[in-house]
Parts: sequence; structure tokens; C-alpha cells
Amino acid sequence: MTPASSVAEAASNTQDLGSKALVIEVKGLSKTYFRGKEKLEVLRDLSLTAHEGEFIALMGPSGSGKTTLLNIIAGLDRPSSGSVRVAGADLAGMSDSALAGFRAANVGFIFQTYNLLPVLTARENVELPLLLTSLGSAERRRRAETALKVVGLSERMDHYPRQLSGGQEQRVTIARAIVTDPKLIVADEPTGDLDRDSADEILSLLRKLQTEFKKTIIMVTHDPAAAESAGTVHHLDKGKFK
Amino acid sequence: MNLASLAARNVLRNKLRTVLTVLGVAVAILAFVLLRTVIWSWTVSAEYAAKDRVATRHKVTFINPLPVRYKTQIEQIPGVTHVTWANWFGAKHPTRESDFFQSIAVDPPSFLAVYDEIILPQAQREKWLSNRQGALVGESLAKQFGWKVGDRITLAGTIYPGDWQFDVDAIYTVKRSSMDKASLMFHWDYLNDSIGPRRKDEAGWFISRVKNAGDAVNTAKRIDALFDDQDAQTLSMDEHAMNASFLGMFSAVLTAIDLVSIVILVIMMLILGNTIAMGVRERTNEYGMLRALGFLPKHIASFVLLEAMVVGLAGGCFGLLLSYPVVEQGLGRFLEENMGSMFPYFHVDPPIAGLALALSIALGLVAAIVPAYQASKLNVVDSLRRVG
Repeated sequence: MTPASSVAEAASNTQDLGSKALVIEVKGLSKTYFRGKEKLEVLRDLSLTAHEGEFIALMGPSGSGKTTLLNIIAGLDRPSSGSVRVAGADLAGMSDSALAGFRAANVGFIFQTYNLLPVLTARENVELPLLLTSLGSAERRRRAETALKVVGLSERMDHYPRQLSGGQEQRVTIARAIVTDPKLIVADEPTGDLDRDSADEILSLLRKLQTEFKKTIIMVTHDPAAAESAGTVHHLDKGKFK
Repeated sequence: MNLASLAARNVLRNKLRTVLTVLGVAVAILAFVLLRTVIWSWTVSAEYAAKDRVATRHKVTFINPLPVRYKTQIEQIPGVTHVTWANWFGAKHPTRESDFFQSIAVDPPSFLAVYDEIILPQAQREKWLSNRQGALVGESLAKQFGWKVGDRITLAGTIYPGDWQFDVDAIYTVKRSSMDKASLMFHWDYLNDSIGPRRKDEAGWFISRVKNAGDAVNTAKRIDALFDDQDAQTLSMDEHAMNASFLGMFSAVLTAIDLVSIVILVIMMLILGNTIAMGVRERTNEYGMLRALGFLPKHIASFVLLEAMVVGLAGGCFGLLLSYPVVEQGLGRFLEENMGSMFPYFHVDPPIAGLALALSIALGLVAAIVPAYQASKLNVVDSLRRVG
């Protein structure tokens, strides 16, 4: 699949959103930090929706609030005001432990720096989120192997992260993100540390997750080429959509 | 893979640091076992004292003698089966004066009847019983000075000055730990006949054997009551209490050793805590990732605690492995041979080994409490932001 064809396919997938379930619903979201006595308004009255199978890219300069918005939608951070509903859950009213449970069940994470545990093999890294479930070890192993097959790393299951290239490490991260079959995948600069070819492979994989597996994806990126892969691109500047 | 194995595998993240930490813990455990064994060995004679023996000494002090004629009266007390008496002689090897050993003048027949844990060949027994200048020597002491049966030895008297000659007639070992293997016993008659009239017919202490061990305390009371109206009153107690009161004189030394062993463990805990804290700091980003995936603070704390426990256990096991050859073969053999009267049984006591292992795990856990708490309280967003 070429980037161009996948963009077209992604665009076609956004046409009938009305019939698809709403996965992200953000209304009047603001986020304020205090640095000493100084008040920093990172996000200002933002609203955003995303349906099942939608791929959204968040772009903007450094400090525009992209990652903060991503973190709030993923249940890692809390809004100062406004409401955030993801996969039917009101995140603002959840306790820390409830948020952890929500993330484990509904969110897959892809980080710029992969964040794989070096003491675990690729399969074991993918298996990691399943340790929080009641699945037996054989089933956990089977699902991890399936996820690695989806990302094309069946041959590298028993390799440690240090034995993999950057692109392969990021594919392991993607396998880890989908192994629990979450509704939402959040990706923070997933291609930031990769060369162009590896980045294209990763973007192709994300589109595959969107189109074949109907995952809702929200991705922060500085890379216009990466943003082209998404069906929707939101530009943030000083905490507001442009 | 499970949560515990994940924590255990983290131990090998920085192999050099882990190996050095495990070595540090192992050395601390070795030192702990060594010091505890010193205390145990020193006090073991009291702990292993026979329960059916009653010791009687002068009421005022060990140093004051008692009339030897008391023996006949003690024998009359119901339940007493044998009575023997002894005098502390305080001999020194003429060329190795610093090598302390116990030398006692005893009445051989009654002595062997009371101390039935002493084992010696029948021929040697008969020879010693019949030779007034004969000496019965413990096998550790014989080894220490290179004495053999048939040797004639000369010892310097300290309490009874002069050169004293003895024939090594018998070398004994023991079948119970209630008697050491580093003493020299010789005929009380030989001593009594060789000293001036002022010090004749005196006994340093009496040891009575009773039929029922449960009667030892009452028998001690009866003995003391017997001599209550005499000039030389007695103080009797069971052998364990007597040995313990003797050890009480060294209580300050034992307490100091005890404290040092605890200080060593505290140092070990601080080393371990420092290593764990460094590991936690390096893995902040990973803990953030795990929290993002849905792991709870208690999981993160468990990882840290389990890791510390594994390092503590590994260090404890290695330390114990080291302690056996060091204590049993090296230092233990040396002390038994050269300082047998103070350390008659210098071995790794299983309860001490168990305590050392349990403490290595427990202190590992304690050392990791603060780093584990800090790791569990990390803010997820801040943790993820630290790298990249």
C-alpha cells in the first residue's frame, strides 16, 4: 500500500462517520498550569470529536498543547475544565485507579522513543499489557504472537529490543498498543525518531489499523508527510485550534 | 512471564552494578554470620550445659575455696547420684604463654562418673586413673600443642607456682556439646599433696549429678541449706545457670560484638537502598510507560520491592555459601585448635544461617521501601516526559 492510496482510502473512511460510534467527545476543554505564580493556559476551550475508525493528526509548533491534549484524551492527564468522554467514559470524573483501568482496556500507546523494556523480548514486551488481564499465560502468548504477526514481526518475536532496528522497535510498540484490542490508539510523534522509509512503514501500519481493524487513532506529529496519512488534521496554536 | 519474573529480570539490567551489590550484601552477611558465630560459640557451653548437674561454689565468689569434706555431705542428699570436685589450676605452656587453655585438678573416678559425655579408650582411662601424674587432654588441645599419649609435659603453674610435670595418659573427645575438647584435667591428689598445708584439702567447686534433671533446682537449694550455718557457705545452681553467670563477666564484649553485627547489616541495607534508588531513577521513563499502560502504583512498588528482595536473597545465599568454608574450614578450625577453651565449637549454627538469610531478604525489602514509594508516586506525564 502506497501512502497516496492509503490517504485516499482513509478519506473514504471518513465519509460515513455518522453511522459510526463516537469514540472521542471533547467539549470546552481547558488546561491551565501554574509555574510558581505564573498561570499558563495550555489548552483553551477546545472541542473535538472522533468516531470509530477515524484517524486524526494533531499538528502545531512546540508548546502549542498537542501532547497535553493527547494526554488528556488518553486518560494520562486531567482537564482544568470542560468534559472529555472517550469510549463512552467520562474521564474527568474518574479516580486515578479507574483511569488506569480505563487506559488498560481502551487505549493503546505508541511513543516516540518506543519505551520497550530492554530485558524483555519483543513477544514479552507485547504481552506486557495483558499481564493486567485475567488471561492465562498460553492465551497471552498467543495474542502477543498474533499482534506481532499483524505488524509483520513474526520472525523477530524472540529478539530483544537492542537486536531490532528503530522501525522494528516501533512496530513492536504498535503490536503492544493493539494487543488488548483497544478502541483508541494514541501516538505521540511515532515517526519522530525514524528515517523516511521506516516512518512510511509505520504510517502504513497505522492506516492498516484504521481501515482493517477500525481503530480510532489520534496522532501528534510535526511531520507534514505523516499528517497526510490521517483523515483529519487539526492545527493547534497557543492552545486553540486554528 | 509474570509480574514477579519481570521484576526478577530487571535485576540483571546493569550486571556490573548488580554483581557488586550482591557481593557487598554477601560480604555483609559473611561478617554477620562470623560475628554471630563468635557469640554463639562463646555461649554454647552455657546453652548446651547438662540439665542434670548442679554446680556448687563459695557463696561470696568463685575465687574462695570450699572444704573438700563437703563432698561427703552433698552425697547424702536424696537424688544425688555422684559428686565430684575440682580446682582451677591455671597452667600455661612454658613456650606459648599467650595460648590460654583450661587446666583443672579433678578427682578422676568421680569426675568421669559425673561427666559421662567424655569418651576415651578403656586402656587410656585405666592408665589415667592409676597414674597420679597423669593428664587427660582434650583432642583439640592435644592437636594445638602437638601432644600425644605417652608424652611427658611440663607446664607452668600460675595459681600454684612452679613447674609441674604431667604424663599425657589419655586424650578425650565428647559425645555431647556440654563439654569442650580443649581442657586438661589431672589428679587433684597430685596437686593436694604438692602444696603447702594452708591450701590443702580445698575444692574450687563441686559438681553433683542428680537422678532427675527436674530436681536440679531443688537439689541446689538443699545443698545450700546444708551449709547455711557453716563458715564457708555455698551457692549452688544448675550447670546452665553457673555457665551463664561466668559468661556474664564478658557480657560487655558480647554486646559490643552484637552491636557491630547489627551495624554491618544497617550498612548493607544502605548500600542496597542506594543501588535500588539509582535503578529507580534510571527507569523513571519505563515506570511512566507502565503506568500509561494501566499498571497501578502498587504494581510499580511491587517491581521495586521484588527486585530488592531478589538482590538481597542472592547476596544472602552467596554470603552463606562463603561463610561455610570460611567459618567451618578456615577460621573455625583455627579457633577450635588454638582457642578451643573459648570457642570449643566454632561452626555455622543453622538458626544463625536461617536468620542471616531471612535478614538479607527483609533488609532488602526495608531498603527498597523509600525508592518503591517514590516510584509508585511518580506522575505519569512527567515520567514520560523525562526522556526524548
